[in-house]
Amino acid sequence: MTTTRALGSTTGVEITFILIGLLTFGAAVLTVTVRNLVHAALWLVVALGGLAGCYLLLAAEFVAWVQVLIYVGAVAVLLLFGLMLTRAPIGRTTELDSGNRWAAAVVGLATAGVLVSVIGDAVRTTWFDPRQAVVNGTAKAVGTSLFRYWVLPFELLSVLLLAALVGAIVLSRRDVSDDVDAAEGTPRAQATEAEA
Amino acid sequence: MSVLTSLLAASPGDPTNPGGGLGGATSTVTNTFTAPHVEYRALMPMLVVFGAATVGILIEAFLPRTRRYWPQVGVSLAGVVVAFCFVVANHGMAETTAADAVSVDGVTLFLQGTILLLALLALLLVAERGTGLVDLDAFTAQGATTPGSGGERAADAAGLRTTEVFPLMLFSVGGMLLFPAANDLLTSFVALEVLSLPLYLLCGLARRRRLLSQEAAMKYFLLGAFSSAFFLYGVALLYGYAGSVRLSDIATAITSSPHSDVLVLAGVALLAVGLLFKVGAVPFHAWTPDVYQGAPTPITAFMAAATKVAAFGALLRITYVALPGLRWDWRPVLWGVAILTMLVGAILAITQRDIKRMLAYSAILNAGYILLGVISTTSKGVSSTLFYLAAYGFATIGAFAVVTLVRESVRGGSDSGDGGEEDSVTVGGEATDLSAWAGLGRRSPLLAACFTVFMLAFAGIPLTSGFTGKFALFTAAIDGGAWPLVIVGVIASAAAAFFYVRVIVLMYFSEPLREQGAGPIVVVPSPMTTVALTVTVALTIALGVLPQMALDLADKAAYFVQ
Repeated sequence: MTTTRALGSTTGVEITFILIGLLTFGAAVLTVTVRNLVHAALWLVVALGGLAGCYLLLAAEFVAWVQVLIYVGAVAVLLLFGLMLTRAPIGRTTELDSGNRWAAAVVGLATAGVLVSVIGDAVRTTWFDPRQAVVNGTAKAVGTSLFRYWVLPFELLSVLLLAALVGAIVLSRRDVSDDVDAAEGTPRAQATEAEA
Repeated sequence: MSVLTSLLAASPGDPTNPGGGLGGATSTVTNTFTAPHVEYRALMPMLVVFGAATVGILIEAFLPRTRRYWPQVGVSLAGVVVAFCFVVANHGMAETTAADAVSVDGVTLFLQGTILLLALLALLLVAERGTGLVDLDAFTAQGATTPGSGGERAADAAGLRTTEVFPLMLFSVGGMLLFPAANDLLTSFVALEVLSLPLYLLCGLARRRRLLSQEAAMKYFLLGAFSSAFFLYGVALLYGYAGSVRLSDIATAITSSPHSDVLVLAGVALLAVGLLFKVGAVPFHAWTPDVYQGAPTPITAFMAAATKVAAFGALLRITYVALPGLRWDWRPVLWGVAILTMLVGAILAITQRDIKRMLAYSAILNAGYILLGVISTTSKGVSSTLFYLAAYGFATIGAFAVVTLVRESVRGGSDSGDGGEEDSVTVGGEATDLSAWAGLGRRSPLLAACFTVFMLAFAGIPLTSGFTGKFALFTAAIDGGAWPLVIVGVIASAAAAFFYVRVIVLMYFSEPLREQGAGPIVVVPSPMTTVALTVTVALTIALGVLPQMALDLADKAAYFVQ
């Protein structure tokens, strides 16, 4: 399963992987550089989709489909809805350039540097074919692992979601509207009754 | 080359540390699924608390608004009490369960018991609605209304109540019970989120000074999210290093691995950021004063006491179980953090004019003391930390309970509006400015006496729990060879005694504020706050006068399982 071989010899899978990787990278760069917020959101969809393709090529099918469902599906749609429902600038604008962009670039590059050096260090001398070596990516393997070793954290996440749901309702539910005037909205008698 | 390779290349049938990560799962991909063994008895405290929270949500869903309060109070209190009984029944347990995700040992049980007792007292404060005469509800009538709008007044007048605080608080308690018990970093992270998220929400629900409260919630949420991200990145790096997120596997990898230490050091550093943020240690303390000041006071009490216990529990477990092999690397860093925390906490507390902010800086200072116990890396260090966490928690809840009772008076209350009651005085928000506390000893000797007890305990005066706790911590630190830290600790204590005693002097030897006839008033609470206050005073004195039983308990509890 683990074989050492020359880096030069490539296969179709590797070439596809590199191409999709470049596509993802390009889309990610465009996401943070384009001057149109809606375009940025759409480039983000491409980047996230490209990542799903990378996962698929690494034989992590379950993660790939989760990526498509959650990120390409839910998160990107949420972003676009956010743009539609707020007064975000949807045309071409220069307002998107934040004063913090150099700091953000440094943080991004540093994070990338750590990851690249760590993973590069890990697989520098070994060549492994993910399709043969890793069977962890199948839905079955992930499911088994999830419900065998990670059952407690998994169930707890549902508690977390429940708490978040209740919290969202607490913060947003209105039984009394904001523009009601106190004097008109509720008769005084009712108010004193409630206080007692 | 790091261990990552062997992990990635783990073949089917290779039984590398089952439960240790996805790598270990390869051997189980067969057609039969073996369910993990779960020792439900060990998990009962958490399950009961989460169950009570779920019942609370059902109450919210099905009972009419006006009839939710008492069922919520009953269910919450019952849940916490039953969970505490399970903790007591589990005494002496030493096992890991739920596929090694949770380890129930002395430290876990002691901290879970402490958290549940603190939660019980904090629940009494949260449930405080005042007597028939004054409304002491600390929570906003409706979180969604704009502060200062007509809707806010209408919601107040309609008598709306945010009873959702009870289930939210129980969710947080459940997360706190799990956090010190988590035996792998992933469970740790989930527990951290479960305990934090409800707290972010609760911080923003104050009834008075709502803008301050919402700002606090926002700040806490954003900074908390950052710290969680740091924690998660640290977990990822440690997984890359050890090939597992289990604490014992990380410990093994550290002692046996011939690989470069860069990964593990970076991972531990990022992990520490997340944990030190939660305990409020310098330089990750910036949120503490603002959040403590803005949050509803009962929530501040709960947060200051119970979150600290849970976070220090997790810090103890991670440093003692996973990182003993790296002692010589993390100890100097924690030395620096402890010194900074003690000095910054003590010095900035002196400059505060607001009682809640002062108590917040006092919380930072105390986090510095407790770090001494973590640094000592002895079993004595563990037991003294456990004792101090309990002692500090009770005194903190008591001190904030007193803060809820000293109120501003509003002359000729604008709410009543009746011409005939022009001279009536209504109860306003909490009078947190220190000047309002002048002369409190004359107007309300009993309350001032209670607060004096807590201040003396914080200052570490003999015959209070603070003295016993500090003595145990400093002794443990000297045993662990950290005597320079003890010197800093004593200096910080001396500086801290200044501002604690200043409040006492202000209460007893200053003229009360009588400008514009709108001095602060002391309200009479319902039996809930009275009980909480009595219990905390009694415990603070008892742990100072007769500490031996509690110290023995902490000594016996100072063991970990892996």
